[in-house]
Amino acid sequence: MFLTRSEYDRGVNTFSPEGRLFQVEYAIEAIKLGSTAIGLKTNEGVVLAVEKRVTSSLIEAGSIEKIMEVDKHIACAMSGLIADSKTLIDKARVEAQNHWFTYNENMGVEGVTQAVSNLALQFGDDDPDPGAMSRPFGVALLFAGVDEKGPRLFHMDPSGTFIQYDGKAIGSGSEGAQQALQEVYHKSMTLKEACKAALTILKQVMEEKLNSTNVEMCTVTPQNLFRMFTKEELEDIIREI
Amino acid sequence: MMSINGSPGPLWTGGPIPGQFYNFPGGKSDSNNTQRVRSVNPIVTGTSVLAVQFKGGVVIAADTLGSYGSLAKYRDLKRLLKVNDTTVIGAAGDYADFQYMSNIIQQQVINDEVINDGFGYTPKSVHCLLTRILYNRRSQFNPLWNTYIIAGIEEDQPYLGYVDKIGMAYEAPSLACGFGAYVALPIIRDALEKKPDISKDEAVALIDRCMKLMYYRDARALNKYQLAVITKDGVDIKGPIISETNWEVAHMIRGYE
Amino acid sequence: MASASVLSEYKAPISAHFSPYDFNGGTVLAIAGNDFALIATDTRLSQGFAIHSRECPKTFTLTNNTILGCCGFHGDVLTLTKTLAARLQIFEKDHNKPMPTASIAAMLSTILYYRRFFPYYTHNVVAGLDEEGKGCVYSFDPVGCYEKESFRAKGSASAMLQPLLDNQIGGKNQNGYTAQSLTSTQCVALVKDVFTSAAERDIYTGDNIIISVVNKDGIKSEKFPLRRD
Repeated sequence: MFLTRSEYDRGVNTFSPEGRLFQVEYAIEAIKLGSTAIGLKTNEGVVLAVEKRVTSSLIEAGSIEKIMEVDKHIACAMSGLIADSKTLIDKARVEAQNHWFTYNENMGVEGVTQAVSNLALQFGDDDPDPGAMSRPFGVALLFAGVDEKGPRLFHMDPSGTFIQYDGKAIGSGSEGAQQALQEVYHKSMTLKEACKAALTILKQVMEEKLNSTNVEMCTVTPQNLFRMFTKEELEDIIREI
Repeated sequence: MMSINGSPGPLWTGGPIPGQFYNFPGGKSDSNNTQRVRSVNPIVTGTSVLAVQFKGGVVIAADTLGSYGSLAKYRDLKRLLKVNDTTVIGAAGDYADFQYMSNIIQQQVINDEVINDGFGYTPKSVHCLLTRILYNRRSQFNPLWNTYIIAGIEEDQPYLGYVDKIGMAYEAPSLACGFGAYVALPIIRDALEKKPDISKDEAVALIDRCMKLMYYRDARALNKYQLAVITKDGVDIKGPIISETNWEVAHMIRGYE
Repeated sequence: MASASVLSEYKAPISAHFSPYDFNGGTVLAIAGNDFALIATDTRLSQGFAIHSRECPKTFTLTNNTILGCCGFHGDVLTLTKTLAARLQIFEKDHNKPMPTASIAAMLSTILYYRRFFPYYTHNVVAGLDEEGKGCVYSFDPVGCYEKESFRAKGSASAMLQPLLDNQIGGKNQNGYTAQSLTSTQCVALVKDVFTSAAERDIYTGDNIIISVVNKDGIKSEKFPLRRD
């Protein structure tokens, strides 16, 4: 891909003669530099697990936040340029609250993802929209949640494309992790098994040694909705791996 | 729910009355003094428009008098507007507002023609457009002081629509606005009740008779009127037609001298 | 002094006052049953002592599950129902499902309240099935205050109908009688009776009623004549 670099990767809204938008493709490449994040869906709920790169012992690991709550019933994990995700998460939260305010029901996971994906392609050199970006977002998101269709997991990339998955890995370790997910996943998986599997796979693809400070994990279930794992709960699972 | 002279009832018991200023209990504001008056009175006005459906078409008629208060000021004002080959509108109320609306509609018709996709206004879409324009203007407290009757052929069926200055709209097989709703409409409805599928000639005769009756009874009416017949073959605006009147009967009336 | 008293004899020119509202009558009535909801409307459209139309129902089918009853000022009724139809279509396209009855009620409340200081002069009642398939009725005031109820009459003859419903459905003011839930056939018969009575006394209610029953099989409507004078 980089070998065929041409003048067409300059403008963010210029197609190459082969019909490609290079800046968008480069943004998708940027995700592959990010830390690994895994989402796994079971009939009991969805689990999200992410790696945190604690590059210095002086970093306060708790200040790195890569799983966020969108609404009581929807969580979001991210990989890539985390700063870019702030706009997207803000949008997701506003949409979810607006939906609840107007319709007095929880917004569907697909609806939230759709609303956020509409932002993804609102970039351009001379976009007059206030708040619009001059370049594509450099972040990929995993939306996990429960709605009337049950537990659901969606992946959205910088092109705004979103697809529903049973299990999905993003970030630097995504290729290996996706392979491992396909091997371990089965339809009747319990949530507990999924949590363990997610951490096991994360451990395999992480460069650092996995411990309770350099990972984050959450579940979204119909009963307990969004719930982050505490340090102690993480340690319990890590011991079993 | 409502008083005799037609003011709407309160929104809830003891609550504000729609369209009137309301001082919240305990408040000190006296908003009546700061009232901005944007809407005006009608100046030159047209009186009733009458319309009735018949088998295969519609008849609509309006006299040609433009009144300035009680002064019969203009005696040759056309109050029927041909929109296209399927639609005619008739207007009562302020004549200047009708001319303004005519400009909007005629410009829209030209714009549609320029697009040249074979689609244009139908009576139903004109009715909807007028309703939206009038409702918007009333919501800005700056109404167009008219009642419109839209007559035409919609998908080979006769169509009649009514809309007034506050955006109140409906469809019916016979329509009249203003004083005509009290004088002529009962007669038209009676005729339709006895024979729902009247012929074109019967419809024209009925409207002719009612226009003459309007001239007898309505002090703002004239015995000179336009009458349009809309069928699938197109629009035919006749007139001005002069009603032959007979006032001998006037001498028989006693008690109002 | 003299000039002041002369001036005071001049009155302001007579001007036609503009009111953005009118009252066009009409009555709607909704009843929630165990597995059905019923909503009825008369078909008269009036203004003062004039009857504009005898064929103007004030119920509007919103989805396969939900019907709205809406009466008051007909200009606002037209605008509100058009806004609702557009919002429902957008919702259906955005979320791949028709809007549930409870959500329609919540949305209607916000639409009405956004016009708090220039209200839609409409009396609304929403009837339909909830997500469990049970009948439900929501009633609204013109500025969006709303409540889930089991039966409610709205509009011109509401003050005549509601006490009758309280008695016949709610079992109020009857000694030694406890309210029992009615079947849809019983409700339809009751609705015909109460509307016939209301049409005797209220000049803004008459001509016909259209009774619509929503159940799991869909919506069925029937027409019933009232007095036309």
